[in-house]
Amino acid sequence: MCGLCGVFLTETHWSDAAITAADQGGRTRRHERLHGVALANRVLKHYGLKVCEWQGSAYLLSSQTGQTSVVPSIAAVWPVAERLRKRALDPLDESLIEVLERSG
Amino acid sequence: MSGGPTSAVDHTIPVTVLTGFLGSGKTTLLQRLLRSPRMVRTAVLINEFGEIGLDHLLVERADESVVLLQSGCICCSIRDDLKSALRGLLRRRDRGEIPEFDRVAIETTGLADPAPILYTLLTEPVVRHRFKLESVITTVDAVNAELHLSRNPEGIKQVAAADRIVVTKTDIADREQSAALRETLGRLNPSAELLDAAQWVDSPDGSIDPDWLLSPRPFASSRTGPSRPRVEAGGHVHLEALRRHSAAVASSSLALEEPLDWTAFGIWLSMLLNRHGDNVLRVKGILRVSGMSTPVLVNAVQHIVHPPQHMERWPTDDHRSRIVFITRGVDHALLRRSLAAFSRSTISDFSYA
Repeated sequence: MCGLCGVFLTETHWSDAAITAADQGGRTRRHERLHGVALANRVLKHYGLKVCEWQGSAYLLSSQTGQTSVVPSIAAVWPVAERLRKRALDPLDESLIEVLERSG
Repeated sequence: MSGGPTSAVDHTIPVTVLTGFLGSGKTTLLQRLLRSPRMVRTAVLINEFGEIGLDHLLVERADESVVLLQSGCICCSIRDDLKSALRGLLRRRDRGEIPEFDRVAIETTGLADPAPILYTLLTEPVVRHRFKLESVITTVDAVNAELHLSRNPEGIKQVAAADRIVVTKTDIADREQSAALRETLGRLNPSAELLDAAQWVDSPDGSIDPDWLLSPRPFASSRTGPSRPRVEAGGHVHLEALRRHSAAVASSSLALEEPLDWTAFGIWLSMLLNRHGDNVLRVKGILRVSGMSTPVLVNAVQHIVHPPQHMERWPTDDHRSRIVFITRGVDHALLRRSLAAFSRSTISDFSYA
């Protein structure tokens, strides 16, 4: 863990592990991270949350009221987002699915 | 493999986890497997020394003790006994106290939930760098399966976690009952290969071909087409108790027509497991990922996700992404719609041969 910012630097999350190989196909790591941010924000927007990339090493998750948390990977966003919003974030929630279906 | 180049030389030791209810034939299976000369360099970890002895050079005992991590769920707990036993094997081998070994077989107790064992193998800092979980094999006794599986929740978890299910005692079980059991097991875990233990009884020395039992062949037997026919009422045995007990357990086998955006899939699966991990007993898939010519294997048991594995080639002519989900109390119509919406894919059914 980084002592200054509290970011875990130890492990590659499983969801990031296949990207290294995909990089060889031309996508850069930064491109991949920004792509992840865009996709996660499609979902987080429904709950009044937003994530952004932070210095190539972490992500910042913030609520509309300005609460912010640092998360090590996009996949780690969900439990933190649930704590920020004090509610369950469920991918099987029909209202969320309908929003995603409409946005294409 | 996390983050590393796929061509790196693999020095990890393959581990086979053998699970199944008490008396379902785990030790017999192991005993016969170890008779093969190719299995001489196998270290064996067992929880309890049973009545059937193992005449093997390297048999170690691991007492069951689970350390529950703070704020962790039961499946995400390190099995302290397993950690110590595996580290101990390495230490003693390095000191020359025990022979070299190139494979480990772990025989669990009949009541063990396989999830903490897999969690330990995949996350414990030393263990995960030195060992590689190759497969989970579950024995199911054709005579007593209904009783065992319907009375013990761990039994269903053992079936769901299996890559291969070996049905034992088929030679003494009623034929219709065996057929009904195979049907039920196929419904509970369509991703597992079903093997019949009776296949090995004819070998001259009673040994089992390690390739038959151990060699990984994920999705090798899958085919496209209509769903596997169900055993219908009339003239067939029904395992009523097991059916009632496993009524909430459902499986779906899905195929995605377009190449899958790995990032979108990772976002979806991590969100699903965060909210429903306790009830997602298994996710096993072969994925056609955008920008990659070879497939990626995904494998998850409850909250525990294996590192995705890059395969060198497609096992069959079907190059679509195919995923099997085994869940308890989850609406599969919503699961399917959710995956389609997150990944912007068209989803269809596929079935195993």
